[in-house]
Amino acid sequence: MTDTLLLLVYIIVFPGFIFLLAYALFFEFLDRKISARMQHRVGPPLFQPFADLIKMLGKEVIDPDGVDRHVFDTAPLVALAAVMTAFLYIPVTGASPLAFQGDLVVVLYLLMLPTVALFLIGWLSRNVFSAVGGIRAVTQMFIYEVPFFLALLTPALMAGSWSISDIVLWQQEHLWFMVIQPIGFVVGLIGLQAKLERTPFDIPEAETEIVAGPWTELTGRRLALMHLTSDVSLVVGSSLIAALFLGGPALPWTVSPVWLNWIAGFLLFLAKTLAVLLILSSMKVATGRIRIDQLNAIGWKYIAGAAVVQVALVLIVDYFGVAV
Amino acid sequence: MPEVVIPIGPQHPALKEPVNFRVIADGEKIIRLELDLSYSHRGVEKAAESRNFIRVLPLLERVCGICSHSHSTAFSKGIEEIMQLEIPPRALYIRTIIAELERMHSHMLWLGVAAHEIGFNTLFMWTWRDREVVQDTLEEMTGNRVHYGMNEIGGVRCDLTPVQVNKALSRLPNLEERVRKYVDMVNDQETMLIRFKGIGKMSREEALKFGAVGPTARASGVDIDTRRDDPYLAYQEVPWNVVTDTAGDVYGRTRVRIGELFESIKIVRYCLENLPGGQIRVNNPPKNAPEGEILSRYEAPRGELVHFIRTNGTDKVERVDIRTPTLANWTSVAMCLVNQNLADIPVIVAAIDPCLSCTSRITIVNHKNGKPGRSG
Amino acid sequence: MNQPISIETINEAMKGMGTAEMARSNRIRVTTGPETIHEALTVIMGSLGCDRLITISTADNGTAFELFYHLTGPHRTIISLGTKLSREMPKIASVSDILLSAGIYERQIHDLFGIEFLGHPGLKRIILNEDWPADEFPLRKDWKRGPDTFYGGIKEEKI
Repeated sequence: MTDTLLLLVYIIVFPGFIFLLAYALFFEFLDRKISARMQHRVGPPLFQPFADLIKMLGKEVIDPDGVDRHVFDTAPLVALAAVMTAFLYIPVTGASPLAFQGDLVVVLYLLMLPTVALFLIGWLSRNVFSAVGGIRAVTQMFIYEVPFFLALLTPALMAGSWSISDIVLWQQEHLWFMVIQPIGFVVGLIGLQAKLERTPFDIPEAETEIVAGPWTELTGRRLALMHLTSDVSLVVGSSLIAALFLGGPALPWTVSPVWLNWIAGFLLFLAKTLAVLLILSSMKVATGRIRIDQLNAIGWKYIAGAAVVQVALVLIVDYFGVAV
Repeated sequence: MPEVVIPIGPQHPALKEPVNFRVIADGEKIIRLELDLSYSHRGVEKAAESRNFIRVLPLLERVCGICSHSHSTAFSKGIEEIMQLEIPPRALYIRTIIAELERMHSHMLWLGVAAHEIGFNTLFMWTWRDREVVQDTLEEMTGNRVHYGMNEIGGVRCDLTPVQVNKALSRLPNLEERVRKYVDMVNDQETMLIRFKGIGKMSREEALKFGAVGPTARASGVDIDTRRDDPYLAYQEVPWNVVTDTAGDVYGRTRVRIGELFESIKIVRYCLENLPGGQIRVNNPPKNAPEGEILSRYEAPRGELVHFIRTNGTDKVERVDIRTPTLANWTSVAMCLVNQNLADIPVIVAAIDPCLSCTSRITIVNHKNGKPGRSG
Repeated sequence: MNQPISIETINEAMKGMGTAEMARSNRIRVTTGPETIHEALTVIMGSLGCDRLITISTADNGTAFELFYHLTGPHRTIISLGTKLSREMPKIASVSDILLSAGIYERQIHDLFGIEFLGHPGLKRIILNEDWPADEFPLRKDWKRGPDTFYGGIKEEKI
């Protein structure tokens, strides 16, 4: 009984949905504040993302003529549910209680759903800009998903397990994967930036070219939920990279009272995800947007190439039985 | 994707002013486009025929916000030439200083806007922050950030005090250092290079054929600059160079504009340090202009501005025909955009620095109750 | 070819088509008739070394429409070619086949003055809005705003 209760608390309160939502809004604030300070601006106050969310939830929902209302209502919900579920498998204070072999693949699959939802919304919007944006979103997904998957595959190969919690455990006994597989780390970060559709990869939502792309016809609570989805994806993505490459919420030794271990792990989790956010924000501020055909060239030549090299290296090391 | 008509404008985030391109695209490649410029026509040329010389200068200044001094100076120097007035040198130097400050703020604005068009908001924020230094100087000297109102027939309206001159001089070194930093950014920043190089390329012959003017033409190697070809104001006494480039694409235009920023800083510094003393306006300029016709050319920040003025002996002008640089550059945009990518439209359009309030000049005033009606 | 052109050279080149006069140091005006525009422009672009069109200006002097083609080149002299058109039949051949940049100016002049350029590829509305009445040309001296004509845009409602 207490187990089920604890599990429910884990899923709903901490580190489940409520903590996730609060942390996502805090991440958005940090991201905007860091970008603003780098651009010599002031930036928003702490509760700005929360205020934006509340405001957008209360705005009028406008249905363009002839558009399928049901898809427009459910697609943001499906996207939000997908990323929130993905968070449950990522270790926050230690191994996740829902971990199982193969949960890495499940997390990656769930993280893909928001892009598909966005494409659907764009395609069904009956609007030239949204259609072009939706097509760009799916094209971009094809380009970066391959290197991203490959880069996240290599820690699993080396740790010998498909569960994120096991990979974190492996790093506790050995070195962080960022040190062992630096190429994979860099490719993973670039792939994450492309998945989250942030500059230099914010091609689907290019404001100066196609108005807002697939986001054009989203209004009111649909826009609020979709926006929340992208915030939550930022948290999930950062914690995934932190878990797979930076060692996750695990100290190299275990501290004796269990609750102290949890707190130490949680603080480490916060520190590592914030470090990843800092890198992602700097990437966003320091670059301009590239074109989709240029992304095609760069993505398949350099990023996918680097990912393949990394996988090859891991396989060679494994074949020769070199112990790390 | 089959052929699709994508409306760029009249409202679009890439455009700062309303213009209508209907782009016919095949997937992401542009096949042709149709142009419609009517959205900001205000009937300035017709209105100028019923105002005397004192009242027409503020009207002409408001043809455009960013190049306001260009229009009023081009008109004043045209009328002064018809009247055969000799303008005191101090007034010429002050007009030059304001003209070059205007060019500086316009080019910095353009740099920010071009960076924004490719999603590079950091450069946008930084250049506009530095542009504030120029705007502060202009506000101290003239009282306004745009629409300076410095010109009148026969000279300038306000003088520059030594305090203003020294303050302006003290701001210039810092500005120069910031512009040098932008040169580094433009030369090394990878995303800017891949978005700007090779886009909207125009050879020298094409630039001449399409009638391009200003930095758009100079970037293709066409060596035209009205300040040197047809000297006016104080440009013959100040040492400065014409900046050209051979690239012919958007990257070349960026380099030309940044080069012109350096030249403008040089000119402003020289004029401030060597400001001659004396009067700032002619005593008792004549009220009426003799009959005559003149073609007054001026190098506005966007290119060559031409006022064709005809007077008829009264104190009103009979005809003022304004050809703005943006109108001359539209043909080159329409021809350069064919076979480019959809994503490059904002970059190419922004590269000519379009100023649509200059291009279209109608409001219909309801003469029954004097309120402006709406047009289009 | 960077010397300013002298008036004698121009008179020589324009023999039979018009006379030249010097307005000031580097401005020369040539007056010609509307039929010889093409020929005159070809000569100016060819032997007189002009390589670009600055603008086409128009003026209405009450009895006729005057058109001025201003051209210049590396010699930095501006040659202004002027013609007069009658008010009843303001037609002239379009020069956009030899001067591509003239196309946009001719469209604008057609909108505002009603001068018809024969052979222009597309004289559509460019500067006035699409629902401006087709036979009103605002920049003519005899144009008065009709009190009840609808000039396009949104009708004002009497509240």
